[in-house]
Amino acid sequence: MTEPQTRPESPAGDPSPDAGRMLTALVQLRGALQQAVLPLEVPEVEVHRSARADMIAQLEDYVIPRLMTIEAPMLAVVGGSTGAGKSTLVNSLVGRRVTQPGVLRPTTRSPVLVHNPEDAHWFGQDRLLPDLERVTTATNDPSALQLVPSETVPAGLAVLDAPDIDSVEEANRTLAAQLLAAADLWLFVTSAARYADQVPWQFLREAAERSAAVAIVLDRTPPEAVETVASHLARMLASRGLKDSPLFTVHEGPVDDEGLLPASSVAEIRGWLESLAADAEARAGVVRQTLEGAIRNVAQRTHLVADAETSQVEALTRLREDAEKAYAASTAAVREASADGTLLRGEVLARWQEFVGTGELLRSLETRVGWLRDRIVNAVKGKPQQAERVQVAVESGLETLLTEHAEAAAERAEASWQSLASGQALLRDAGEDLGRASRDFRRRAERAVRDWQRDVLEMVREEGADKRTTARFLAYGVNGLSVALMVVVFAHTGGALVGAEAGIAGGGAVLGQKLLEAVFGDQAVRSLAERARQDLERRVAELYDAERARYLDLLASLGVDEGSPETLRQAARRVDDLRFAQSARQEPGAGSAQGSAQASVPGSGTGTGVAGGTGD
Amino acid sequence: MTSLLEGAKKLVTRGSDIGARVEGLAQAVEASRGRLDDEVVDAAGATAARAAHRLRLSADHTVVALAGATGSGKSSTFNALTGLELSAVGVRRPTTSWATACVWGSEGAPELLEFLGIPERHRVARDNLLSQGREDTALQGVVLLDLPDHDSTEVSHHLEVDRLVALADMLIWVLDPQKYADAAIHDRYLAPLATHKDVMLVVLNQIDRVPEERRETMLGDVRRLLAADGLTGVPVLGVSSREGWGVDGLREEIARKVASKKVTKQRLEADVRASALRMRTVTGEAAAPTLSRERLEALEDSFAEAAGVPTVVKAVEESTRVRANRATGWPATAWLSRFRPDPLKRLHLDLGQVGRELTGTPRSSVPEPTQVQRARVDTEVRALVDDVTAGMQPAWGHAVRRASVSRLPDLGDRLDKALAATDLGVERLPVWTGLLRALQWVLVVAALVGGAWLALLGVATYARVPEPPTPEWNGWPLPTLLLLAGLGLGLLLALGARVLVSATARRRASVADQRLRQAIGEATEELVVAPVQAELDAYGRAVDGLATALR
Repeated sequence: MTEPQTRPESPAGDPSPDAGRMLTALVQLRGALQQAVLPLEVPEVEVHRSARADMIAQLEDYVIPRLMTIEAPMLAVVGGSTGAGKSTLVNSLVGRRVTQPGVLRPTTRSPVLVHNPEDAHWFGQDRLLPDLERVTTATNDPSALQLVPSETVPAGLAVLDAPDIDSVEEANRTLAAQLLAAADLWLFVTSAARYADQVPWQFLREAAERSAAVAIVLDRTPPEAVETVASHLARMLASRGLKDSPLFTVHEGPVDDEGLLPASSVAEIRGWLESLAADAEARAGVVRQTLEGAIRNVAQRTHLVADAETSQVEALTRLREDAEKAYAASTAAVREASADGTLLRGEVLARWQEFVGTGELLRSLETRVGWLRDRIVNAVKGKPQQAERVQVAVESGLETLLTEHAEAAAERAEASWQSLASGQALLRDAGEDLGRASRDFRRRAERAVRDWQRDVLEMVREEGADKRTTARFLAYGVNGLSVALMVVVFAHTGGALVGAEAGIAGGGAVLGQKLLEAVFGDQAVRSLAERARQDLERRVAELYDAERARYLDLLASLGVDEGSPETLRQAARRVDDLRFAQSARQEPGAGSAQGSAQASVPGSGTGTGVAGGTGD
Repeated sequence: MTSLLEGAKKLVTRGSDIGARVEGLAQAVEASRGRLDDEVVDAAGATAARAAHRLRLSADHTVVALAGATGSGKSSTFNALTGLELSAVGVRRPTTSWATACVWGSEGAPELLEFLGIPERHRVARDNLLSQGREDTALQGVVLLDLPDHDSTEVSHHLEVDRLVALADMLIWVLDPQKYADAAIHDRYLAPLATHKDVMLVVLNQIDRVPEERRETMLGDVRRLLAADGLTGVPVLGVSSREGWGVDGLREEIARKVASKKVTKQRLEADVRASALRMRTVTGEAAAPTLSRERLEALEDSFAEAAGVPTVVKAVEESTRVRANRATGWPATAWLSRFRPDPLKRLHLDLGQVGRELTGTPRSSVPEPTQVQRARVDTEVRALVDDVTAGMQPAWGHAVRRASVSRLPDLGDRLDKALAATDLGVERLPVWTGLLRALQWVLVVAALVGGAWLALLGVATYARVPEPPTPEWNGWPLPTLLLLAGLGLGLLLALGARVLVSATARRRASVADQRLRQAIGEATEELVVAPVQAELDAYGRAVDGLATALR
């Protein structure tokens, strides 16, 4: 950004330290607006998105450059609907053909800026409208700005012919809005056919809110209808807060071969513009009024964007909490299921009982004959085999549990996101199906469970390193002991078991515990079981965190900053404070320029049939 | 909605394709309600209802609507076509606030005008006025509407236009040299109605304001813009209603289109197609899938496991073994086995038929499904649904999934009921056990007799009482024989019976397994298969309905 130039008091200028501070505040505001993205599809976000884009564009195109070069010529933008006669009017005002009017609609060409040759240095690339490339010849490129110097335009004034605001070409519409936002004075052209159209009146309402200076030109009206239309139009203007805007009428007539209207038709407008250009103070007043109105408007609307940003932050928080809750529920369910002994049922128990050789031992109080018989058989067959079968049973039970709860959590999270419009849009764009566990989850779960079993094995091996000589240890081997530990872990709980199972499950675990205590001692067994369970819990948490990250990463990638609503509000308040301070300094006791007071443009006369409400 | 379906069915007898299409759409709407987004379904339902209603009304009339921007000259054109000064033309904008209708041939028209919502005071009948010229017979059967504008500051006008554009059969868009490129008409009306280009006409009015040499270029430009909207082939006529140029040509064009009497059906067909296409994007075109055998079996297995069927079957085997052994075993030691608990009793499944009648269907004590088993059931249900919804669109896939889990909360109760209500066939032991038991007791008695006899003989020898004669058989004294035979045969019988008992126990276990699995199969059917099948049937109906509508 270039430094604001320090100049002596000029009619249009504020004392420069003030301007400097305001400039800084506006630049900060623009930065805050740019950071405040609105990515989530909460209700009514589109309106706020376009408001934010408009505000950033206006700050960049108009407010900041204007504040830096407050002495630049006043820019009058001629805008209006398709076919209202803007180009013909501009040509006639300037006195020669500078833009190409067309019969076919819509006309697409670069906007044309007509200025006095002395003022050429004010319209360089880095001044107003910096993203439009400056050219000197007529082109069809809507992103270029054609500069035409002309002696007939008085110094201190420039006229810009904008594209139409309502044609099929969307590029025209957006460019017209951008140019009107950068204007000091609007010359809004309408016609007998168009003066009641909705789209032009939306623009005029925005101008009224912003206190921009507006003059209405009624063009293309058959002579017999002028009175009626003009008075109706005047009443519509008055009822929409544009009472003080001058209304000019241009009579429809033949154009000469240059395409210009006779000078008499546009004399009134021309005279008014020239007097405005000559009177430096009046000009400065117009510029200042429009600029202040724009700043006030931006500061006001920033609060709305800040509110929208707050609702974005809230929506984001809600989505994050929903995802976290879904996965927390699953983690808790897995923890509970793996700790209350139910994993013992079925296969695990059968394998365990085979391994230990207690076939019928617990279910009936048979004699030790059977036990002895099974032990001998096991000694012949070999322990490790039995231990492996129990391990496999444990694996598939845990794995099913983990996978099912991961799927259930993904389903819950997706359902809760689907119930919000913002969540729906995120899920749609996610690329993968977030309602199911990730594809490789089963593989990772398998690996995690095997790693856990290996860790338990290590624990037992470490703990039993010096107990190898114990007969029982030799008999069962490390594998068997680690299986026993797993069984103890699974049964270690305060949860109640139902019916017959209590005996079986508890019995299996009790046997396992007795076995371990015999080898390691009571205290050591407890601490081993605790460590084994913590290890399992840690691995489970890891697995589910990775699943949950799919959801949370989506949210993080949106780039919504929780502090940006407050930053926005502060920036807007700072701009408002500076504004009040400035106006209080200029007009002490007269109050600040508040409310949507219409810009009082000094007019040398109003159009026919406006003043006093003549007509029906 | 069923009345809609019936109404649509009656239309089929009118012999046209359109009735079948409307019925197809209505069928798809009914099948999709509650499963697809309400917005989509309601819109399609409204289209179907409107089409059905319109078809019931006069087939001899065609509703032609003049629509356009404010100031384009709709009312002037309307006046020129009717030959009367019916609509007010003015300089102040907007001019027309309500729709006016002019009817050529008012037989059967009042209902149609009610349907369009045109009040009495805005209707004019053309056939009972002054002498009918040639031009009026050409337009016989036309209901010409002059609509308000769609782009002025009056919002009520837009709403009226939107409503009537949806109801009219033929649309004439009136453009003018100033506004023909406005976004308002192209983006809001022309482009979205590209599917209806067969029932549209475009008129470029106020052509007298354009210099003569530029007129053809301008018409070409209008055609270019229409092509960009997707409306190639729509006739564009240059007209000046103020000067009267081209009005005859316009009248002829309208008469030509109306004479074929097909405009109404064309319009409704375009409506139904557009609606059905929108529904199809959400429904998809895949045919209704069937449930695979393997998946169902896997599902039943997981249900059986969750119900504890293996436990019960094992308990049946054990219980039979225990009881049969007790009955046929050697009486001397058999009574010891009373100390072993009967597994079935512990599960409360031994009451048998009579017991069940007395106590209703009591809850059994089979353990509840554990977490792992529930997880297995859930996984199998999920796999089944995945299999079935593989080709479906997400909305229907979700509906099937919801249906599949809707009854799973009842799982525990239902399985319990299935289990308890099944007759395991264990309360009575086979007949041969009774016989063996009797035989065992006979042998015991014989052994006892022999033993007592020997004891008496022993006492007699001890007391030096003269020994009575002892019968012999094959050189063996009878009491000894009795004793030895009793004990020996008893033991042999017991051992042999054990083998028989194992076989019986296994057989009984498999019978019980079969019965239980059947009961579980019914439970599976009720809890999962039936709801899923209902959704699949609805999906099939929806796809068929849309196929009919889009044929």
